[in-house]
Amino acid sequence: MKRVILTTLIALALAKGWAGAGPSPTAGFLRIAIPREEGSLNPYTYQSGYPGWLLMTLVYDTLYYPDLDNVPQPWLARDARPSQGGRVWTVTLRPGLRWHDGRPLTAEDVKFTFEYVKKFTHARWTPQAADIERIEVQDSLTVVFRLTKPVAWFRQLPLADLPLLPKHIWEGVTEPGRFHNTVGSGPYRLVEAQPPQFYRLVANDAYFAGRPRVRELVLPIVADASVSFNAMQAGEVDANTRYLLPELMAQFQRIPGLRVVRGPGFASTILQFNLEHPLLRDVRLRRAIAHAINTQLMVRLLMLGFAEVGAPGYLHPASPLYNPAVRFVPSKARAVALLNEAGYEDRNRDGIREASDGSPLRFSLLARSGDPIRIRTADLIRTWLKDIGIEVQVRVMDDPSIISLVWPDFDVCKGRRFDMVIFGWSAPVMTRPNALTQMFHSDCRIGTINIGGYRNPEFDRLAELHAATTDARRQRELVFRMQEIVARDMPIHTLFYPDVLLAYWQTKYDGWAFQKGQGILNKLSFVSAPR
Amino acid sequence: MAVAELRLPRPFLRLPVRPAGIAGAGVLAALACVAIAAPWISPYDPASVVAPPFEPPSPAHPLGTNDIGQDILSELIYGSRISLTIGFLAAATAVSLGTLVGVVAGYYGGAVDALLMRLVDLILVIPFLPLMIVLAAYLGPRFWNTILVIAALTWARPARVIRAQVLSLGTLDYVDAARALGASTPRILTRHILPGVLPLSLAQFITAASHAILVEASLSFLGLGDPTAKSWGSILYYAQARSAFLSGAWPWWVLPPGLLVTVTALSFALVGLALEERLNPRLRYRHSGAALQTELIRN
Amino acid sequence: MWRFFVARGGQYVLVLLASATLNFALPRMMPGSPLLFLAGEEVGRLDEGHRRELVRRLGLDRPLWEQYVRYLIDLARGELGTSFQRGRPIADLLRERISWTLLLMGTGLLGATAAGVVGGTWAAWRRGGSTDVGLLFTAMALESMPSFWLGMILIAVFGAHLRWFPIFGARTPGVPLEGTALLVDVARHLALPLVTLILVTAPGTFLVMRYAMLQVLGEPYIATARAKGVGERSVLFRHAMRNALLPVCTVFMLNLGFVASGATVIETVFSYPGVGRLMYEAVLNRDYPVIQAAFFVVTLSVMAANALADLLYPLIDPRVRDGRR
Repeated sequence: MKRVILTTLIALALAKGWAGAGPSPTAGFLRIAIPREEGSLNPYTYQSGYPGWLLMTLVYDTLYYPDLDNVPQPWLARDARPSQGGRVWTVTLRPGLRWHDGRPLTAEDVKFTFEYVKKFTHARWTPQAADIERIEVQDSLTVVFRLTKPVAWFRQLPLADLPLLPKHIWEGVTEPGRFHNTVGSGPYRLVEAQPPQFYRLVANDAYFAGRPRVRELVLPIVADASVSFNAMQAGEVDANTRYLLPELMAQFQRIPGLRVVRGPGFASTILQFNLEHPLLRDVRLRRAIAHAINTQLMVRLLMLGFAEVGAPGYLHPASPLYNPAVRFVPSKARAVALLNEAGYEDRNRDGIREASDGSPLRFSLLARSGDPIRIRTADLIRTWLKDIGIEVQVRVMDDPSIISLVWPDFDVCKGRRFDMVIFGWSAPVMTRPNALTQMFHSDCRIGTINIGGYRNPEFDRLAELHAATTDARRQRELVFRMQEIVARDMPIHTLFYPDVLLAYWQTKYDGWAFQKGQGILNKLSFVSAPR
Repeated sequence: MAVAELRLPRPFLRLPVRPAGIAGAGVLAALACVAIAAPWISPYDPASVVAPPFEPPSPAHPLGTNDIGQDILSELIYGSRISLTIGFLAAATAVSLGTLVGVVAGYYGGAVDALLMRLVDLILVIPFLPLMIVLAAYLGPRFWNTILVIAALTWARPARVIRAQVLSLGTLDYVDAARALGASTPRILTRHILPGVLPLSLAQFITAASHAILVEASLSFLGLGDPTAKSWGSILYYAQARSAFLSGAWPWWVLPPGLLVTVTALSFALVGLALEERLNPRLRYRHSGAALQTELIRN
Repeated sequence: MWRFFVARGGQYVLVLLASATLNFALPRMMPGSPLLFLAGEEVGRLDEGHRRELVRRLGLDRPLWEQYVRYLIDLARGELGTSFQRGRPIADLLRERISWTLLLMGTGLLGATAAGVVGGTWAAWRRGGSTDVGLLFTAMALESMPSFWLGMILIAVFGAHLRWFPIFGARTPGVPLEGTALLVDVARHLALPLVTLILVTAPGTFLVMRYAMLQVLGEPYIATARAKGVGERSVLFRHAMRNALLPVCTVFMLNLGFVASGATVIETVFSYPGVGRLMYEAVLNRDYPVIQAAFFVVTLSVMAANALADLLYPLIDPRVRDGRR
């Protein structure tokens, strides 16, 4: 027995000795944890909007690039001038641009890229190129786009979204989803891809906007959230693309050398109604439900205060087109009053109100199983609605199952089969100029994310006017009025917008640039904007 | 399947098996009492938000609060209801089905036996995780579906064991005699076979309950159980999802539920052991390959 | 004798076919389209034509029976297809991942078997004494513990708190290492998952070994050896243990079947990049080809292990050769 104890002690001592034996990185080398594999990081194989698109833009460039306020600024292009009311756009490239393999980047590559994405379907790029009728190369630096109709925000979509592909490499590629070449023009080159473990990017010293400030980026893939934060705490990674969990804020803020930045987040958590449901069609019922939900308390409980209370017009208060005149203050008393006024009473004394035709106010509320905060949100809503006589059954399912009920095949035209669902849209949706149109237009070809099936001719009219005008002031006016309608009709109830919380080791690198609503992983953290 | 016969000469002789079994039964009884008396002994309603979230233990909340301010001790007390019920019901269903199949296969033999045993092999081979996801998607990850799925995958081992027992009983002389005298099949089954098999079924039930509790915890932890039914496994799910390990909350949020699962499963196992030892110490265990496989499926 | 093998063989083929069919049907029964994970939210902006093209490219629009036939043909040819989500050949995926699973489960098996053999022998030798009771109780307690819980406690104590071991992955990412440094790095990352796996698997082997040793120790020839004055040590190692190793071999061979499927839960908890984790991720992403391929590999290995056990058993244990039931 004594020998056993002795051996164990020796073994433990040896193990302890290993503790410091991990290999340490050299200077100029940053490790940034990412949550998932992103294919081969080229435009046709990257996987996620966040952080996939951002990582991909480290290797590939766009003609314009959003600055820290999400306003597109010239990047590869020197400028883009509209004419004919926005129906023709002339884009001029900077001179002297090169691909990673040294070949020059010219207008031919621009024309090639746009035509390629029209030909080879990509869920994100192809719709952006849909309005382009013809592309003309005037000289090696000038490209003219002729559109089928005037588009006011061409600089943003597609110029600040679609990255350029090298013609000399992609010409003749017929299966882009299986093509793993990563020669781009960006500040970094992908030198090693070892999914599911990591990606390795090395700085492109000949980059036109100047040498990137960090020599090498290693991106370990850490699929599990707590593991990635644990690794951060232990110093095994220097930054994390995952947003820090609210419950870790206090602790991380106390760690010397670790910096936490906090900013408004544009991703949203919403309560989505099915507007085709016989009972939920009644706006008074929807408003009553909204009044019963104490969003302030929700933000305190679920997000520990690290979120912004939802605005009734959907747009975030920090968003440039936010209409401050549209407010909503929930009140339980008002909820009860509304229900009584609208004739929803508990006639049979079973604790649940019924409509005038006798149907009980009983609904199912879907929530995604991989997301504990959403499940807790649903649970809280259930408790609060029970208090005012509405029975809610929370049904937790995995994401694909929810999508099949709520947004079958991602086609709003295919209908819907649900009552209510806790849903959410990612940050880029908020920054799209036509966000509200996509969310609420009744034509399923235009309102491509109108998953509730909302129909309002007044709103449709405003949305169409908005798409047709290029005058910035008029656009703003129209978007303000659209928010008023949304706030009045409540096809969705915006609950909150989680703040962007990001942590990084200040001692390793402090040059991060925070892009509003999105985060620190963008080109501007490594290179300055070209003049 | 390969069959190795191990004749076991009272492997637990000289060991305090009976006291262990009694201790196990005692613990289970205590847990059952806690489950029944939950509304009276629980300090708070586990569904109510009673304090700020992530509170460490204090006199008001001996095990602190969880991520939305619910009392963890109350969650554990009520959790015993869910976990014990699921374990009990799943095991009962599984063993009933398994006994039925085992008896039919062992008694009739021939093509029926071959077919049923091939089915058993198939069950033992089905990857467990995706099947749960299918059912959860169609039926919803709810209480009854968890029971159904656990039962659907754990009836196979009891079937094998019961079949082996029936085979050994079926060759006994008095069964042959009864048959020769023209006794009808149901009569033989109920009067002769079933009594010989029931004690073993009971032992299998106890073992199955032990496994069912563990499986339910794993399913809930992976997020495949019903997160709104507060079982011990779902407490662990939220603890893991809300970084209990990082924030130092794990001693009071993670240790207790896991410990309760372990203690319950262990108690069932001890009772099962005592039962098997007492029922028939000279029981011949036919360790077929497949039976051993099921032990490993848990991992 | 060989009629037995043919009949058995036929049954195995039947089971394989049935599991292949089940593997094909299962993912198809799951609601939800893989398009989400291929194209993200942006898919909502595609028009019908482009969406149909995506579906066509993925082969999802062919009639079910045609997909089934192609599936079987591909399977027979050993062609596993391409992952929807990752755009890479599945054979590559499996090859990358299987080496880590084999490493983890292989060392785990060896460790668990060694621990079980040593423990079982010791317990049988000291039968009825406090050591025996202690070991039995420990074994039963370990078997009653949820493996993920044990893993997380180890992470919390040894990984997060004491910082003795790294807590995720199989290697330190991005740092190219050679020779001993590489071995040390891999070993450090393997430590915690391995310990968890051993703690969870050893009890099974321990119990089998203990039973077997008790049986052997009760045999007449052991009594004879003792009577002849052979030392206790010698009795244990030269006579008893060798014969008790037979069932342990069976356990070992059967465990082999599960090596390929990986301990999903343990791999998930430790973010260890193995096949178990791959399967779980593929199911959540509805990556049909990966699910099918992974299932098939698991089924095949289990059947192979069973077949191997069936073949070898009569050779090893003469008692089984007669009286097949």
